[in-house]
Amino acid sequence: MQDNLFETTALALQLLFSFDPDLWDIIGVSFRVSLTAIAIATLPAALVGFLLAMLDFKGRTAVIAIFNALMAAPTVVVGLTLYLLLSRSGPFGDFHLLFTQPAMVIGQVALAFPLLVCMSHSAFQAIDKRAWETARTLGANCCMAVITIMREARFALLAAVVAAFGRIISEVGCSMMIGGNIMGYTRNIPTAIALETSKGMFAQGIALGLVLLLLALLLNVTLVSVRGKGRLV
Amino acid sequence: MNLELNATNLIKRFGARQLFSIDTLNLKEGDSIHLNGDNGVGKTTLMKVLAGLDKPCEGQVSVTPAKRKLWSSNLHPRVIYLHQSPYIFSGTVRENLAYGLKLRGSSRQQTNDAVDKALSWSRLEPLAHQQAYSLSGGEKQRLALARAWVLNPGLLFLDEPTANLDKKSVQNVAELVADLQNCGTAIMVSSHQSNPVTELCKQNMLLTGGQLKKNVVNEALYA
Repeated sequence: MQDNLFETTALALQLLFSFDPDLWDIIGVSFRVSLTAIAIATLPAALVGFLLAMLDFKGRTAVIAIFNALMAAPTVVVGLTLYLLLSRSGPFGDFHLLFTQPAMVIGQVALAFPLLVCMSHSAFQAIDKRAWETARTLGANCCMAVITIMREARFALLAAVVAAFGRIISEVGCSMMIGGNIMGYTRNIPTAIALETSKGMFAQGIALGLVLLLLALLLNVTLVSVRGKGRLV
Repeated sequence: MNLELNATNLIKRFGARQLFSIDTLNLKEGDSIHLNGDNGVGKTTLMKVLAGLDKPCEGQVSVTPAKRKLWSSNLHPRVIYLHQSPYIFSGTVRENLAYGLKLRGSSRQQTNDAVDKALSWSRLEPLAHQQAYSLSGGEKQRLALARAWVLNPGLLFLDEPTANLDKKSVQNVAELVADLQNCGTAIMVSSHQSNPVTELCKQNMLLTGGQLKKNVVNEALYA
């Protein structure tokens, strides 16, 4: 069994470093979909987080609770909901989005959005109200003051983006249900790992798993190195 | 044209509790007012309302000449409020001083020149490239004053500017405030104690029982 593990890992590394086209195609789909999703979700989610931190309105607590609950929503449930919405008989069936990369992007935006809202809300809550008042009294209009506050909270916001990206690039349930795991089109890293493992073909699964682990390490090293400059005052 | 702030029928409440009710208040360039009152009477809130950072429940605050459209209806670019404990943005001392100038669309050269002058004015030159969060309390207060000075304020609200400062820092702050006064900037200083900054003020106001009493001489305070 141990020999088998070593052999499979060696084969996985060989696949990676020989730039196996199928393997790198899967990696490409994953990154394309997840980077697009995070790019779409980040700014609106940060603005919602900012508004939740700054404004006091009726139902604010309920909105925060809902986003917190959505943050923990199982990916298959989100996938199922979107499947029903995007399938031919669903309300958005005419757009023919099911089993396409745009559908996967929509799913990943839905997964990342609540996490980004909750984490950016916490980030903005931690910023002193004096920061807003100081920006405003020194001449910042509302838009510039928001940008100033985002800059003040940049480390926490970056952590939110990293956490959200980590969640969506490694999720399998939603991508499987609305992507369909079509080779060369919607097959991404987690769905490929699930498929290859079910077939007993572990080498590609391990190779893709290594990519995910390496990515997690890289993102967190980047985050720690950037945050290292922002020491406690 | 000189800057003038007029407040009429100002009422501020928190829930059912009325903090203050002020019929009229007039501030113009050259004025220097010590706003006195016990802790919790609403000095900070009043100053924030006058500076446009907080809204009154009733009444209005108007500043003439009218501001440019770029600013919101409540805030005037030449009316600046300084917190008791100033908020310092992340970045260097220079970057903090340049903040307001960049917002006003100053060119890089204009900004650099003005920041150099502000550093010299506040005697923060040796700390110009230091991270601003590492400054001492007195240095932060000087930085906040310089950050306002560089914008040529017509009216400056100083909320307890000497709280938690040692004697030397208080003296430094007083010198900078005196210089601002000499430049024609109207100042309103809140403090419940007499100190070298409040002693620069020509008028005294007392906020007590929700009312603003003007030209009060509190002998106990100035003894």
